[in-house]
Amino acid sequence: MYRYDQIDQTLVNERVAQFRDQTQRFLAGALSEDEYRPLRLRNGLYVQRFAPMLRVAIPYGLLSSTQLRTLAHIARRYDRDFAHFTTRQNIQYNWPRIEDVPDILAELASVEMHAIQTSGNSIRNITADHLAGVAPDEIADPRPYCEIIRQWATLHPEFSYLPRKFKFAITAAPADRAASEVHDIGVHLRRGAQGEIGFEILAGGGLGRTPIIGHRIREWLPQADLLAYLEAILRVYNRYGRRDNIHKARVKILMRALGVAEFTRQVEQEFLASADFAPRLRPAQVEHMRSFFTPPPYESLPDQPEPAADAAFCAWYRYNTRAHKISGYRVVIVSLKKHGEAPGDASAAQMEGLAQLAEQHSFGMLRVAHDQNLVLADVAQRALREVWQRLEQLGLATANIGTLTDMICCPGLDFCSLANAGSIAIAKQIHARFDDLDYLYEIGPLEIKMSGCMNACGHHHIGHIGILGVDKHGKEWYQITIGGSSAPPAALGEVIGPSVPKEAVADTIAKLIEVYLRARRDEEERFLDTVRRIGIEPFQERVYATDHSTA
Amino acid sequence: MRRIIRRREIVSDELRYEGEALEPGTHSVPTASQWLAIPAAQRGPALLLRATDELEPLASELDGLRWIVVEFAKPGEGRGFSQARLLRERYGYEGELRARGAFGRDLLFFLARCGFDAFDPHLGEDLEAALGAFETFSVAYQGGSEGIVHVHERAPSL
Repeated sequence: MYRYDQIDQTLVNERVAQFRDQTQRFLAGALSEDEYRPLRLRNGLYVQRFAPMLRVAIPYGLLSSTQLRTLAHIARRYDRDFAHFTTRQNIQYNWPRIEDVPDILAELASVEMHAIQTSGNSIRNITADHLAGVAPDEIADPRPYCEIIRQWATLHPEFSYLPRKFKFAITAAPADRAASEVHDIGVHLRRGAQGEIGFEILAGGGLGRTPIIGHRIREWLPQADLLAYLEAILRVYNRYGRRDNIHKARVKILMRALGVAEFTRQVEQEFLASADFAPRLRPAQVEHMRSFFTPPPYESLPDQPEPAADAAFCAWYRYNTRAHKISGYRVVIVSLKKHGEAPGDASAAQMEGLAQLAEQHSFGMLRVAHDQNLVLADVAQRALREVWQRLEQLGLATANIGTLTDMICCPGLDFCSLANAGSIAIAKQIHARFDDLDYLYEIGPLEIKMSGCMNACGHHHIGHIGILGVDKHGKEWYQITIGGSSAPPAALGEVIGPSVPKEAVADTIAKLIEVYLRARRDEEERFLDTVRRIGIEPFQERVYATDHSTA
Repeated sequence: MRRIIRRREIVSDELRYEGEALEPGTHSVPTASQWLAIPAAQRGPALLLRATDELEPLASELDGLRWIVVEFAKPGEGRGFSQARLLRERYGYEGELRARGAFGRDLLFFLARCGFDAFDPHLGEDLEAALGAFETFSVAYQGGSEGIVHVHERAPSL
């Protein structure tokens, strides 16, 4: 992984000192709440329903065991013994005290972490494929480029007060495990005719109030031009993105107003006109960055046959592990989706247990997946049974990855001051309704994504089944969409009809599943495939035909 | 007498905005569009750039300017950062580039990195305390400013 040198360390240390000073001025009354807000947001600090919330960056989801131990320590010392992993591969603390936040940031800086630009109208945490570097299907390791972009974006003086937040996702695999098509910019690694690396650039994707799939604006961008081209996009956006209406300020709205062709023309023109002073990536810089992401010292091991004994272990192997590009190894997905727990939450004890497990069995490294699970990416196949048992003890081995209960879920009304409705209670309701693993396996791959408001932190538009919390006369109701997908071809779900009351959400999903199980061609046809083939009408009929009380 | 920061020193302001009385040694600051409408021979040496102003019409006129004041009308306004960078790096403007408006000392570092060398902040009163803000960071990941060690200089092999 990338390791800080003196410059990186100095920068985060000076950032802590700056925020300590700003916080002291705020607490002393020298800075008003209005003046302090943009400063604290750029350090990940929100003021929420009950307490401040601190969002800490985990750049492209990569974590060392030492960092995870520090995150656990912060949960114990400054919070209530747990924290929440997010769809942007970040971690959130829900109960810190404002006056403690400078100390928390100092603890983070001591392990090469920070909360810079995890909020505010700035370039947010760069997200990436959680299987980067180990996936058999990737073109090249995207992480050197992730780190190059992270550094370029960090405290960029020109782009720190954008019209609105700005999100990057980077992937080097056709499977697109980073949902790159619904980001302000999606960067796709490509190889040219001579094997050289370049990029396909998407822009203008996003969820929220106006969900849009990103448009390809550059088919091939040479490596040297990466940052120059990103600056051109950001400069056009910074100058011409709307600033008069927070709901129309994202780059996707600018692109819609100008048209994709005109936006692209302006970017290309800016790119050409900036050739004299824009940053260029030199091969030596990329090589230097690549040296941080060399493979760990894998042993030479043969692939082992899939386990056949012990049904629980076999199910975990099948659902919670993935192929690795090195023989004898496998990727382990650590499920943060246990029945009864808020999706994405982990306790301090679980984090510490995982840190130890990573040190013993995954070269001391972990990843955060955008679907709110953790990953041990480099586990020797011979150690899988032991890892499974240890995860069982930690409550992190629920064999449900990729199934209906592997839900994405925002914190919702329980914590978030933006939410219209609860998410966690709905997740628990769905877990309770679908607690039979064998039934989940029969249903097969299914992604449920849930947001407590239209800001769409839970990515509901791109869930195979999406659930959106809405406020109707002070009551929590839920709008259901089906047919969304974050994987190519990315798609936005269609609303099936009027929203349903809180107590009916799991029943509604059960009806959707019933239609699917009856209509699917065979067990290979996923829920999403069936929706695409037969359309949403049969699902609408089943949900609404017999019960008009939900209207 | 209004005071501003110029090259990290507090000085009294010789510019006068709309509604302010001109005295000997001071200069009025018309908006860019007003300034462009004046015959070239009669133009003064200063103008005010609004966030929505384009730079291209000024590109060939910059030699006659000693002051460009970039307006930050509201907190969170960020267009002036791009305007400054373009004026310095694309159009080669070498006169005073001043940021004026709804910001306080916490933006000074970013503003300076984009090419501003003078500052008229309307939030926060204490200009003396604000001077320290230029020292907030001793390193940066982006090029474009003097006196800062930036990342491209860190390894001889780079």
